[in-house]
Amino acid sequence: MIEQAELIKYFLLESEDYVNTLIEGIEELENKGFNYETLEVLYRTTHTLKGSASIVKFNKIASLAHKLEDLFEALIKKEIPDDLSLLNIIRKVVNIIISLINEIVQYNEEKSEIDEKLIALIDEIVNKKTITKVEEVSETYSPLPTINSVRVDLNLIDSILGILSEIIVQKNILIDREKELTNLVEVILQGGKKLFNEIVSFSERYWLTPISDKSRVLDTFFTDFSDLEFDRYDEYHIFTRKISEITNDINEGLSELISFSENLSSNFKTLNKEITNLKDNLLSLRMLPIGRLLSKISEAIKDIANTLGKDISIEIKGGDIKIDKPVLDLLHEPLIHVLRNAIDHGIETPQERLALGKPQKGNIKLNAKKEGKYVVISIADDGRGIDTEKVKQRAIEKGLLNPQQAIQMSKDEILSYIFVPGFSTSEDVDFQSGRGMGLDIVKTVIAKLKGTIEVYSEIHKNTTFIIKIPQSLSITNLLIFMSSSLEFAVPINYIEEILTIDDFPNVKDERVINHKSRVIPVKIFSEIYLSSNGKPLEKGYIIVFNFSGIRKALLVDDILGQEEATIYSLGKFLEGLNQYLGYVISSKGNPRFVIDPVKIFEEDFSFNLPLHLYRENVVYSGRVLIVDDSISVRKSLQALLEAKNLKVYTAKDGLEALSILEEKNVDLIITDLEMPVMHGYEFISRIRKDERFNDLPIVVLTSRGTKKHQEKAIDLGADGFLVKPFDEKTITELLERFNIIENLIF
Amino acid sequence: MDEEIRQERHFCVFGVGEREFLIPKESVVQILDITKIFPIPGSPDYIVGALPVRGKIVPAIDLAKVYNIERINYSENKLLVLEVEGDKIGILSDITPFFVSFDKEIVVEDYLDPKKLYEELKVKQPSSNKNNENIL
Repeated sequence: MIEQAELIKYFLLESEDYVNTLIEGIEELENKGFNYETLEVLYRTTHTLKGSASIVKFNKIASLAHKLEDLFEALIKKEIPDDLSLLNIIRKVVNIIISLINEIVQYNEEKSEIDEKLIALIDEIVNKKTITKVEEVSETYSPLPTINSVRVDLNLIDSILGILSEIIVQKNILIDREKELTNLVEVILQGGKKLFNEIVSFSERYWLTPISDKSRVLDTFFTDFSDLEFDRYDEYHIFTRKISEITNDINEGLSELISFSENLSSNFKTLNKEITNLKDNLLSLRMLPIGRLLSKISEAIKDIANTLGKDISIEIKGGDIKIDKPVLDLLHEPLIHVLRNAIDHGIETPQERLALGKPQKGNIKLNAKKEGKYVVISIADDGRGIDTEKVKQRAIEKGLLNPQQAIQMSKDEILSYIFVPGFSTSEDVDFQSGRGMGLDIVKTVIAKLKGTIEVYSEIHKNTTFIIKIPQSLSITNLLIFMSSSLEFAVPINYIEEILTIDDFPNVKDERVINHKSRVIPVKIFSEIYLSSNGKPLEKGYIIVFNFSGIRKALLVDDILGQEEATIYSLGKFLEGLNQYLGYVISSKGNPRFVIDPVKIFEEDFSFNLPLHLYRENVVYSGRVLIVDDSISVRKSLQALLEAKNLKVYTAKDGLEALSILEEKNVDLIITDLEMPVMHGYEFISRIRKDERFNDLPIVVLTSRGTKKHQEKAIDLGADGFLVKPFDEKTITELLERFNIIENLIF
Repeated sequence: MDEEIRQERHFCVFGVGEREFLIPKESVVQILDITKIFPIPGSPDYIVGALPVRGKIVPAIDLAKVYNIERINYSENKLLVLEVEGDKIGILSDITPFFVSFDKEIVVEDYLDPKKLYEELKVKQPSSNKNNENIL
């Protein structure tokens, strides 16, 4: 029942607003006279208040609000004269509502009885459409209870979470630094020990050696004694004595330092725990009970049902299940859609229902329950159900389904066609529910919430929609993996299993694996993103995805683990990078981009796909690697070379070029000198140090034309030197010089 | 990039290679030291990566790639963070950006309109590759 108490809390919060709106509205009517706008506001407010009160079963408030609603409705329709004396009645009702609210705060229930005379009076006014008798009592409002809570803008919570994540980042840095400190202390301690030992053994040894003349302290006191007659302290003695004293001091300081760093560690641990606590608490602030949404929607739907001449009751269960506020907001549309469908096309008219032997009132059950991290909402109506035969025919008519396929399909499979874009079982398109275009949009919205929607139906009996969505949008279960020394994440919901490359040694060449008698195509993640600073794979894992029965696999370098994290959107500027769902921030504060597995395997994806994947089969007369940080140079040179039937690889810097050399055979390198990460000189010297590339021609293409630049390049092992800008002729000559395009002749 | 300005009189000056650009002061939200930039695989060339700021990321744009400006060396960079239509983008500056004011009447050279820049450089769907070449 704790959850019920929570619902009451929300109701109290809301009711405070409603009552204030009512009071303001009534004042306005009094001052400005009766006007449509104000009446409309009052009408809506009482309507919502009625709805909210009935969810938490405060029937007295609900029925009072209902009476007021009737009254305002009649006033709007001008069925009753706008007599200012009506305001007294309204005030009286509002006052009773306020005292009921006060009772709820105090006793958790509505205690006082409703003044039946007042109700009767309102009924009479509304029904007879005349104001028979009005008491002249001036009402003053009793004060509303003070409720121990404040409303907070969601953005504020988000910005606090933002600040918190920065704190977490800083905390993690601190914790790392703390480890450094411990190591440092350890190093100093070892050094100190050595020093101490050294000094002790030195002074012991020294003590026994005779004093040399040079270092003798010239003290006239001692000149009379021989060495054996008096223990003499020369400078070394004094020095060693002092040093060992200092060493002792240092030792003491060191042991203090150790206990200090130990204390610090435990402080950090506590801090860590508290910050985690804080984050969890903050996240729970965003969660609201789904009942608020369900009841709001059901009120709206009941109204629509009335206007359509259908009689329905709506049962809500599981209203206390909590769900992230943004999810809640996004759920509104799809739920309305599904419910509208139910009353438009599911529930029969009362006459039809009676004829069918069903209860006159149609029944819709709205059920929410929790399944792990998901919330499952079912919407069940006892209407006419969905005719799968009709669905099948229509899907075939619309060309969505071919007749042969349809024969083998199960009822449920056929039913799922109602979610396909452009499908509609009803010929007439109702603009409000957007029939036909409706359910596919519902599906899209649900998919955006990382959820699923299914439908089950028995003809003439019932239809049930089941929506399953994660409880919180902000937290997704992710697999963290590594590729080309970069960390990425992928949502685990499509992942079926993870295999190691050891079991499939040929996967890199074959690009498929044969697993559990299935042939699964494999993509290599680092190849999809050309920018690999890649050392060759040492480890390797194959992530197998299951997209509704279609299996695809992705080869990655390493798996770092699983994590629950908040996915942030990339923002409008980067949203074109639709291969990413967003990004998460690791505990170290590094961003990890969350890949969208569906996009990775979409065959027509086009982001930075290396050209050679498409062209590998063509016979080239030669292969050239262009290394330049300027994209325009790379592109223009590439176009020029490709026109000569050459295979071209490009790299942005020396490091990238080296990794390409590891994997591809190249006949010529054309490299710039000034590049980030690894410049041209270093690149050339690295290549020349590698025996495999001893004979590989390297040509420098640079805007630095001085002799000094040139000589240095040649010294390091470059075979040619060109100064930008280049033209086709110089490039052709160059290629001929290195026999790259002689093959062109045949 | 010459453009007549309307209301703006305060500018932020930043440098790319040997060139300097002006941008209206109002659109500048932050100037950051660049500690570490994380590459965004698959993004156009001129987006050198993302910089984490307060648990969010800001894309870092290198205008040298856009306007084909040669860099002598990669000295310490600053990131000029602009806010355009509620979105934050960062521009690499080779100098520490500073603010200047001009009379309304003066026509400012090398003026960048943040909104235009944003629209031009925004990563477009679905193929980003073609678009960034148009810019060059």
